[in-house]
Amino acid sequence: MIHLLALLLYLGALGFWVRFLMSGARDEGPTLASLLAGLAVVTHAVALGDFWLQFGELPLVGPGAALSSLAFVGGLALLATLPLRDASRVGIALLPFSIVCLGVALVLGIQPSPLSIDFQGTGFVLHVTLAFFGYQGLALAFASGILYLIQHHELKSRRLGKVANFIPPLSTLDALGRVGLWVGFGTLSLALAFGWAWNVQNRGSLAFDDPKVLWAVLSWFIFVGIIGARRRRGRREYRGAVASVVGFALVIGSYLVLRLTAGGDGLFL
Amino acid sequence: MPREPVSRDLPLSVIGVSHRTAPVEVRERMAFGPSEAGRALLELRERIGIREAVLLSTCNRTELYLFPSHSPRTLEHARELLSVRAGKVGVDLSRVFFHRLGDQAVEHLFHVSAGLDSMVTGEAEIQGQVREAYELASGLPLDPPMAGPVLNRLFQTALSVGGQVRAETRIGEGTASVASVAVELARKLFGNLKDRRVLILGAGETAERMVEALARQGVRGILVANRTHDRAVQLAERLHGHAVHMERLHEALPLADIVLSSTAAPYPILTRPIFRQAFPDGPRHPILMIDIGIPRDVDPAMGEEPDVFLYNVDDLRAIVDQHVELRSEALPDAARIIRSRSDDFHTWYASLQVVPVIRRMRSRAEVHRRSELDRLFQGWEDLEDGDRERVEEFSRRLLNKLLHDPTVQLRKGMARGGGADLVDAVRFLYGLEVREEEEEGERSDSGSSRVDIKKGAGE
Repeated sequence: MIHLLALLLYLGALGFWVRFLMSGARDEGPTLASLLAGLAVVTHAVALGDFWLQFGELPLVGPGAALSSLAFVGGLALLATLPLRDASRVGIALLPFSIVCLGVALVLGIQPSPLSIDFQGTGFVLHVTLAFFGYQGLALAFASGILYLIQHHELKSRRLGKVANFIPPLSTLDALGRVGLWVGFGTLSLALAFGWAWNVQNRGSLAFDDPKVLWAVLSWFIFVGIIGARRRRGRREYRGAVASVVGFALVIGSYLVLRLTAGGDGLFL
Repeated sequence: MPREPVSRDLPLSVIGVSHRTAPVEVRERMAFGPSEAGRALLELRERIGIREAVLLSTCNRTELYLFPSHSPRTLEHARELLSVRAGKVGVDLSRVFFHRLGDQAVEHLFHVSAGLDSMVTGEAEIQGQVREAYELASGLPLDPPMAGPVLNRLFQTALSVGGQVRAETRIGEGTASVASVAVELARKLFGNLKDRRVLILGAGETAERMVEALARQGVRGILVANRTHDRAVQLAERLHGHAVHMERLHEALPLADIVLSSTAAPYPILTRPIFRQAFPDGPRHPILMIDIGIPRDVDPAMGEEPDVFLYNVDDLRAIVDQHVELRSEALPDAARIIRSRSDDFHTWYASLQVVPVIRRMRSRAEVHRRSELDRLFQGWEDLEDGDRERVEEFSRRLLNKLLHDPTVQLRKGMARGGGADLVDAVRFLYGLEVREEEEEGERSDSGSSRVDIKKGAGE
């Protein structure tokens, strides 16, 4: 129930941003959207805390619980942008990812895991939590990237209409994308290290044919590819934006392919 | 008994010239500096004894607000004052003056303050100019003050209306000058302009204005290139920048985030080969190029470079027009606000007229109370002081209770805007007779409470 309330608040925040974009007017749109987004994150935290208290385990294992936690990390990323005024409007592209994650989690059911205590150990918790930060970092880079490309197109077309008025400046979007990318890359790298250590400790070795492992490693290489694209000479900002959008699409696409073809053990998000 | 009808007509006038009625050669001659405006107002008080007046003088208008202005003599003197100021201009001045009276004068000032009567609709500067005109009049060492109760209320309401229109409508949205569009574009690309660098090609006045506007936003590192290097050096010194040789444009380009161009060159001076020479691998960051030269200074093909955002003078003008159009969509909303606030002002003014009637009604009743008490006490000599006071207190309370409802209803009737007949009825019923001068004097006293302008006005 609290999860549903959080979802509705996320939707409300998104609605205000969209309304503000469409009206092109100076009203309380962004302020109300920011307030609702903040309230949604707090409500979401309460929902996850409630899960923890109720079932005695962190909501990190099992598709429903894990997706909800992933959405929550997205909410935290948005919360971090709220004090940055115009930059917080990146929420219009970032929120849908959290909303979809939480929506799917609610459909699947946010249930406790029947697995052993190994999955609640520090190493595992760090592995999953850091991985969530990694993917949300990429989501932030994607959201900034897509807005960058739209704004770039608007300004190239010499239009200064509602869309250009709403979207933050190119340099702000580039900076946000850079932060998302580096934070995401750093945390995902640490997540992989903790995951490897946890696997070795609990299972003796790392199984590269496991779709989870395959996806995580693939995601890491996609991060490396995006960073590489940004570091090439000339047009860094534009290329960085394109690479972030393509990279995020590849990560989501590969997840869907692996999830649908490999099946997995039901724990893979 | 002579009846003096209470009129809802407001004896307020505005007379003057504006960009809508007079060409610039008339407006510039009719303009008043602050000290000259003060002297003109003093002259009006001395010559015709005007009770309240405010002179609003900007580059687009010179307007005299006068209260009361029943008499044709008042308007004649005001017109003469402005005509003398203009001197001989070779224009028939009788055709350039406009005059608004009563409600129309109120609405005119509200339009002016909200920027609806400005050359660029919705511009905000006029609000400050209206404030200055009002403060100048209220600051004159005169008794009674030149911005008396009516004009004080009028101008404070006008300032409040200006703020309300700008806050509640889109009248002030978007930028409406080429220089401010340049700033807006730069902000859309770079966000904070602090420490961004600008390269100016040519030493034109418009480009200089744009640089000044950008510098106000924190742009630093100004480079100036001009065909005549000496002029580049002069402009660079004035803008605290550096001059560069036009031949070394390819070296200066990588240092700039913004390029402003306004040379008189008959052919493009910034071409793709120069750009490629400056950025063999393409620029690392977007570059904003604003070309206001005619013929164009920047090769239009430069706009095809992926990270070059090229805007020429037509593009800027189109953005300005787009903003102005957006503002004009807000006019009906603005007009609604103005009409409503004008009605409020009129109601306030009408309510002033009831005050002297109420006073006279009460004083007439007090006279009757006093005479009846005197008659009672004359035949009641053994009455003790304490009992006497109790009887007096009883009569006062009875009187207040009897007059309370008529007083309240009269005020309500006036506030609803239909009270003039009520006032006449009360005068008729109570047999009141008030001379106009006395009434106006009392009205001024009753409306003299001032509201601090900084706290917002009006209501």
